[in-house]
Amino acid sequence: MNIYVELTRKFNEGRLRAILSSGQAVVLHRLAVMSKDGDWLLREECDVFDHILKVLDSYGARYRFGAPLDMRWMVGGWSSHFEFMSGNLRVRTDFVCRPPRISPSRLESIWREQETRSFPFVDLIDLISLKKTNREKDYAVIGEIARKIIDVDDQLRYSRSARDIMELCLAFPESATRIASERPVLVNVSGDLEKLEVALDAERRKLMHENENRLQRYIKAASPWSEQWKLKEKMVEGRSLIESHNALVKNAEGCLPFDVEKQDGYSGVN
Amino acid sequence: MESIKDEFLSEEDLDIRNLDEEALEYYWNMWLEQAQSTNEYDKDRYSHGVFAVD
Repeated sequence: MNIYVELTRKFNEGRLRAILSSGQAVVLHRLAVMSKDGDWLLREECDVFDHILKVLDSYGARYRFGAPLDMRWMVGGWSSHFEFMSGNLRVRTDFVCRPPRISPSRLESIWREQETRSFPFVDLIDLISLKKTNREKDYAVIGEIARKIIDVDDQLRYSRSARDIMELCLAFPESATRIASERPVLVNVSGDLEKLEVALDAERRKLMHENENRLQRYIKAASPWSEQWKLKEKMVEGRSLIESHNALVKNAEGCLPFDVEKQDGYSGVN
Repeated sequence: MESIKDEFLSEEDLDIRNLDEEALEYYWNMWLEQAQSTNEYDKDRYSHGVFAVD
């Protein structure tokens, strides 16, 4: 069995706790294999974190630099990162509870919708939100995802292809007018392909900068923890993951702030 | 003749849509094994979360 499928099944034994996300969800949507690491959305419950740590411990996982898998940091938008070897594979597992660009109400709906699925992985539209990162390659993925979407309004919301958008606007002018109020690039569609391409490029750049700014806030807030990390990593070397976790939580308290966005006076989901 | 369309991923990438479950898993695992060759290069990288840098 594929390691990310195997882990997802173990994380969700008995009940839904983790939804496979990002790169490995791209595979399950039959788009491309392009990521080595596994990413999951986690339910915000302490016993969920305990279960995930136990599963990872059974694989001999260790913490990578990041936030401890603890409610106080996870609800602040931080991510937790682990690594282990499975045969010849270096397996990396990344977790968030509050994924960027997904509103609290949408997040609630995601958990409700996934309850009935036989294998939990994020839907196409949510995958698009997650992929609006500062990496160029993610916009290629968004471009292909948009072509898999059936709903015309959503195609207009998310397409990265100027040619596709022009065809959609011609075929569905009412939808185009409606969606243009939420996606300014659609205002530029007047048969001028080059103008639309420029607008799409600018839109992508804006999204990339927004994500860079978000990451920058976390990186800055994590600076004191980052300076101590090598020492702390050495401190927990050879210990089980559960023991390491307990020690790292104690050490991160007072060093890694719980809520970066509030600390910076920032509010928003991006 | 087919008209030109904007391309994002290669046809080779997208070909996984034609694989059955068993073939997909085989290809997926094979890809992950081959990708281990870059482990040293990306040992300090984060591809996801708030520390993501490429």
